[in-house]
Amino acid sequence: MTTATLETRAAGPAAHADFLFLGLSLIATAVLIALVLLDGQPASAALILGGFGLGIAFLKVEFSFTASWRRFLTKGEAGGMLGGLIVIAVTALAVVPVAALSPKFGGAIAPIGPSLLIGSFTFGIGMQLANGCGSGTLYTVGGGSGRMLVTLLFFVIGSVLGSLSLPPVLALGGIDPVLASHYFGPWGGLAVTLASLAAVAAAMIAVAKRRGANFIPSRSYIAGGIVIGLLCIAVFWAGGHPWSVTFGYTVWGAKIAMLLGFNLSSFGFWQWAGPKHALAQSVLSDTSSLTDFGMLFGAMAAAAATKPFASAKWPPAKSLLAAAIGGLLCGWGARLGFGCNIGAFVSGVASGSLHGWVWFGMALLGCLVGIRLRPLFGLSRD
Amino acid sequence: MRKVYIAVVLIGFAAIVASHLTSPSSGRAVSPEDFAGACAPCGAPCPSVKK
Repeated sequence: MTTATLETRAAGPAAHADFLFLGLSLIATAVLIALVLLDGQPASAALILGGFGLGIAFLKVEFSFTASWRRFLTKGEAGGMLGGLIVIAVTALAVVPVAALSPKFGGAIAPIGPSLLIGSFTFGIGMQLANGCGSGTLYTVGGGSGRMLVTLLFFVIGSVLGSLSLPPVLALGGIDPVLASHYFGPWGGLAVTLASLAAVAAAMIAVAKRRGANFIPSRSYIAGGIVIGLLCIAVFWAGGHPWSVTFGYTVWGAKIAMLLGFNLSSFGFWQWAGPKHALAQSVLSDTSSLTDFGMLFGAMAAAAATKPFASAKWPPAKSLLAAAIGGLLCGWGARLGFGCNIGAFVSGVASGSLHGWVWFGMALLGCLVGIRLRPLFGLSRD
Repeated sequence: MRKVYIAVVLIGFAAIVASHLTSPSSGRAVSPEDFAGACAPCGAPCPSVKK
C-alpha cells in the first residue's frame, strides 16, 4: 500500500461506515452497470464488477507494487515482490493457453525497442515519486487519498502527452513482440512463463537472503495475490484481453482536451484504429475505462464501509509537488512503455510476452533513481 | 479534503454519464488490441509493418 493511503487510513480508529461515500460508490456503480446493460452489453457489466472486486481486494490487502519494489531495492525484502509474482502466475494459467488456443482472446503483447526502454524507465522514476503505479493510483484515489487525486490528474495529463510522443519514438525502431506460445505452443509457452517466474522468484529470494532480509510474503499477500489473480482472469474472460489500466487514462484526458478545444485527432496516435475508435465512442465502450471505474468505486465502497472517508488533512506542498511530477512521469512513461505495472508487467508476463520482463527490469532501474529523488520532496527512501 | 472529494466524485460521475449519453456506443466494449494491425495494448502498429 502506498504511504499516502496509509496516512489516510491511520487518521483515526475505525469508527463507523461513511454512508455518504458508501452510498455514492454503490449508486454510481449500479448506474454504470444499468447503462451498459441497457446497451445489451453484459460483458461490460462484468468488467465493471471485475474492477469493483479488484478495488476491494487491493484496498483490503493493501497490495502495493510501489512500496514492495522500494522495500526490495532499499532493504532486500522480497515478500511483496513475490506477492506480485503470485498474481502473475495465477493469471498466466488462463491467459497463455486461452490466448493461444482461442481466436476470441488475445494476450498483452508489445514490441521491444527504445520506446519500451525509455517509457518503462521513466515510469519507474515516476511511480516512486507519485507513491503509486497505475492500479495503486486508482485504488488509493478510491480509498480517499487526496494526494493521489493530484497524482491521478497529472497521470492523465502525462498519458495524453505520451500519446503525442509515442509515434515518433516508435519510429526509432524495435522488434515485433516475442511471445512464448509462438515458439513453444500453448502449454509449452505456459511452462516457459511459469519457469521464468520461478527463476525471477529464486533470484529475489537469493538477494533477500544475502541481505538478511525477509522473503516470505505475508498471508494476506499470498491470499490477496491469488484473489487478484483470479479477478484478473475474470477480467480477461469478460474483455477478451488481459487487464489494462492506463489506456483509459489516456482516453479520459484526450476527451477532456477535445472539450477544451485541442484537436488531437490529427496526431499519429489518434489516427491508429483503436485509439481513434475510443476517442469517438462512449467512454463506457473502452474496456480499460470500465475496469478503472469499477476499481475506483470498489475501493471507495470498501474504504467508506469501515471508517469516515477522506478525513485526513492535505499533505505538505512538497509532497503534492512530488505527486504531480510523479504522475506526469508515470503517464508519459506508461504510454511509451505500453502500459503500467498491470498492462505491461502483470498482463505482459502473464501473456508470455518478453516485453513484460523488459518492462520490469527497466522500471526497477527507474525506481532506483526515483527512490534517490524522494528525499528532495520530503519523502522517505524506505 | 472531504468536500473536494464530493465535488470530484459528482463531477466525474456526471462526466462519465454525459460522455455515454452524447457519444455513440456501437456494440460490445473493445480494447485497441481488437483492431487489425494492433501490436500493443494501446493499438500501436508492429515495427515490422512500418518498415
